[in-house]
Amino acid sequence: MSEPSSRRGTVARWGLNGFAAVALFYLFMPILWIVIYSFNKPVGKFNFIWQEFTLDNWGDPFKDEALTDALWESLKIAGISTLIATVLGTMIAIALARYKFAGVGLLAFMLVLPLTTPEIVIGSSLATLFLGQDVDRGFRTVIIAHVMFQVSFVALTVRARARGFDFGLEQAAQDLGASPMRTFWKITFPLLLPGILAAALLAFALSIDDFIITLFNAGSVSTFPLYINASFKVSFSPQVNVLATTILIFSVALLGAGMLWGVYRDKRTKAI
Amino acid sequence: MTTPNPRVPNPFLGASSLSRRQLIKRAGVLGAAGLSLPAFLAACGGSSDDDASSGTSATGSSPGTAAASGSSPGGGGGDSLYFENWPAYIDPTEDGLTGTVDRFVAATGIDMKYTEAYNDNNEYFAKIQPVLGNGDTIDPDIIAPTSWLTGRLIQLGWLDKLPLDLIPNAANLRPDLVKPTWDPTGEYSLPWQTGFGGIAYNLDVTGRELTSADDLFDPEFKGKIGMLLEMRDTMGIIMLSLGIDISTLTDFATAEPAFAKLEQAKNDGQIRRFTGNDYMNDLSTGNFAACVGWSGDVVQLARDNPAVKFIIPEQGGTAWADAMVLPKGAVNRDAAAKWMDFVYDPVQAAQITAWVQYISPVAGVQEEVAKLDPDLAENPLLFPDEETIARTHIFANLSEEVEAEYDAAFSAITGA
Amino acid sequence: MTATIETEPGTPRARSSGTGRTSWWQRHPQRIGLGSLILSGVLLIAVGTGLLDGPLAIAALFVVLVAIVALIMVAVMGGLETRRALAPYGLLNPGMLWLALFYLAPLFTLLRNSLSTLPSRFAIDAKFDWNFGNYADAFTDFQDQFIRAFLYAGIATVLTIAIGYPLAYVIAFRGGKYRNFLIGLVIIPFFTSYLIRTIAWQSMLADQGAVTSFLRTIHVTGFLDTIGIMDGDKLLNTPAAVIGGLTYNFLPFMILPIYVSLEKIDVHLVEAAKDLYSTSVSAFRKIVFPLSLPGVFAGTLLTFIPASGDFVNQLYLGNPNTTMIGNSIQDQFLVQNNVPLASAMSFVLMAIITVFVLIYSRFFGTDDLV
Repeated sequence: MSEPSSRRGTVARWGLNGFAAVALFYLFMPILWIVIYSFNKPVGKFNFIWQEFTLDNWGDPFKDEALTDALWESLKIAGISTLIATVLGTMIAIALARYKFAGVGLLAFMLVLPLTTPEIVIGSSLATLFLGQDVDRGFRTVIIAHVMFQVSFVALTVRARARGFDFGLEQAAQDLGASPMRTFWKITFPLLLPGILAAALLAFALSIDDFIITLFNAGSVSTFPLYINASFKVSFSPQVNVLATTILIFSVALLGAGMLWGVYRDKRTKAI
Repeated sequence: MTTPNPRVPNPFLGASSLSRRQLIKRAGVLGAAGLSLPAFLAACGGSSDDDASSGTSATGSSPGTAAASGSSPGGGGGDSLYFENWPAYIDPTEDGLTGTVDRFVAATGIDMKYTEAYNDNNEYFAKIQPVLGNGDTIDPDIIAPTSWLTGRLIQLGWLDKLPLDLIPNAANLRPDLVKPTWDPTGEYSLPWQTGFGGIAYNLDVTGRELTSADDLFDPEFKGKIGMLLEMRDTMGIIMLSLGIDISTLTDFATAEPAFAKLEQAKNDGQIRRFTGNDYMNDLSTGNFAACVGWSGDVVQLARDNPAVKFIIPEQGGTAWADAMVLPKGAVNRDAAAKWMDFVYDPVQAAQITAWVQYISPVAGVQEEVAKLDPDLAENPLLFPDEETIARTHIFANLSEEVEAEYDAAFSAITGA
Repeated sequence: MTATIETEPGTPRARSSGTGRTSWWQRHPQRIGLGSLILSGVLLIAVGTGLLDGPLAIAALFVVLVAIVALIMVAVMGGLETRRALAPYGLLNPGMLWLALFYLAPLFTLLRNSLSTLPSRFAIDAKFDWNFGNYADAFTDFQDQFIRAFLYAGIATVLTIAIGYPLAYVIAFRGGKYRNFLIGLVIIPFFTSYLIRTIAWQSMLADQGAVTSFLRTIHVTGFLDTIGIMDGDKLLNTPAAVIGGLTYNFLPFMILPIYVSLEKIDVHLVEAAKDLYSTSVSAFRKIVFPLSLPGVFAGTLLTFIPASGDFVNQLYLGNPNTTMIGNSIQDQFLVQNNVPLASAMSFVLMAIITVFVLIYSRFFGTDDLV
């Protein structure tokens, strides 16, 4: 990276870094709250006021069976729907970015439309569809619903990346004799990968978090947000915090592992 | 958004469990007395215990045709039963005490499924509307909607009449609940639990005792007042303070002054928030000085925080019930009748009340509860005296058109 | 900067069919592609809305299958040029058809509902009778909520750019090998439930909560009260709290697209610019910022649009005078049971948003919508 040429540049540089650090802290403030309050021992049903520190809640994190089941369902649904939506959305993004063809404007507009629709509209109208077709609402219908709104997000995010992509590279590869498939996997895909991963992450978060659309289309399946919302009317137990923290720890661990692996891999290639 | 579950007894055994522990010891004895072999209990306790504790995840809350669901096997005879109730609304089997569901199963041999997926009247109605409106049946045999929804379901013809001849204990119903406004013929519902709507306040914040609904509009508490999203409780209390009789309402014009008053208060910033069940948190942290609340909730809260008090305003408070009903086409009518008969036995009802801590609809429960927990039996919020009952009023049953006007006006104020 | 592969419809370039003649479908592959897509979409919509049912529905689904197969066959039998021409349609097909059936079909049903009248409040079938009264009601009765929704969402969007852009910039340009880890950190808080995060804010912003107590300790409450952020000594249940909640919850939707477009900027461009320009600021202004605009654009869409329809933040953090249109639609659906009005309100919301987006994209100078 370029080095700052003056002292003022250094101040500005660290000012910007500082601001970014504050922003990151801001992002994590509620997380801190969630983690801290998982160690709380509440009086009464709602875990809002700090009483005293206790490790009891962590003693048996999965004590609340229904809550744990709901979390597991959410993870399953998010995993499957993210996979499907990422594939579909990436295909759409590539098509829109790479080719000029008839109907682009209209199709792009159709893509943005689900984003403009309020969730409750999507949710209830989809439910009407399923009811009308006599489809039992449950696991599969939730996945269908989630994929539906994830596709637009994925397509938009990947497209932001694909738009700057120099498709001449593909042409060059094919001139050199590579087949279209090979070109895609060796050239296009790796370069688009950061965008695709970002989109997948976003889609996963969307699915795990979704409440309203799931409410209308889940039938008897209970997902994490559904369960919390329902039980929040009755109570807000520290177990919720415990489980949420567990997800976080797990995700950070995964991320950290990914990063370490990347560093390790770089070291090895350098050594060679 | 939601008119949420108004009843929330304390499933948390926190520091307030002192009387609970005494209760459990004594109830354990009584409970065992009415039962058969422990082995039988263990066998049946397994399945219904899962249902009682698994909350929303075990719900069959996707209403489908009864035939399509595998959840309640058996024909109209009644070897099985499916009751979908509010959360934390029945005594569970724990700490040596056998829950009502288990006791029922042991006593009758009926295979009972009990779920707690009924979280909100409007949400649940939205789920069953397309099914019942189409003439199909929903899975549960018994549900317990709040009185106003029961009234609406009766008017829509979506309920079956109760087989009262199979429920002799129905005679134990408290006299003030017989043929209520929401069920004028008394043939469609039997209350599960009842309660009062009144004013809950935090003495530390208000600095003084409150006595009437006018205190809610005191400018001293500006921006620290909460009101319920449950229209009938909020508007009921306001109307009573203006001298309007809520049990005889037939049109919107009569109620207009109350709506105007509430709207004015909202515009002035008097009201901090319209709440569902979560007002208790705001009350105990001091976000609210006072709010409209429900009796049973405050019983719990007051134990933990003595500054929290509950009163029925001088001019009057509201009375409500969650009523057991049979949705149209319910399959297991006989089993349902047996259940209602069982829980209307004062001995059984006492155990439910002792845990749930709302007001029992069954007469004669107070004596039974005194055997379990004398302190609880003296609690005026659980066993109100005649004078208190006289000060509470049940909201009239509104016709569909008038109800729409009330709902629209209320939503305009709550800002929805 | 993009090198798009131009396809030239209409030129008879199919070669590998072996024979010397070219069929019409080889000459106009684009029409086949688009036609197949549109036909399948329309049929799926018809089935979904219930226009076709029973044996007709089955026939329609069969036709859809045939259309897809025909597309594949044309691609296989045609030459390289045909394949290139059909490729976009092939890529688009699965995703678009999914949307057609599960989004457009219900949407049309909703449109129909918005122009219908309910015979009674709890009836389940609305009668379609071109009732534009619903739209009139939607416009006149809910103006405040519409305005507030767009105002709060707009402010929140600006705030997310103000907070998110610098963060994305720092991660993209100064993250080095920790880049992926850092951007992952940005999104991880959002693997917890939306509800829990909002409830956490509710607790932190409460009168005795962490944030409010802190503000009181450093004696800024009076100042904040004057500029309207706080109300007395309350931070919770104010418009600021709602906007804060919206900003927080949609931050990653802004950060991620900006990061994605910043990250692919060639660092050498910036260095070259620095050699020519004297300050980093100019380099940023003339090189980096314009290249990041697609990301800002995408982020704005992904933030502003859902935020306008949001109701959760208002529910937990707001007061009765800060309600947004999302709350109203929710209320009409669930409490008033007025599906036609709720549907009309939803369409009005969508229409207004679409107009905003069109104006916005014109202003941004992007040639197409997305």
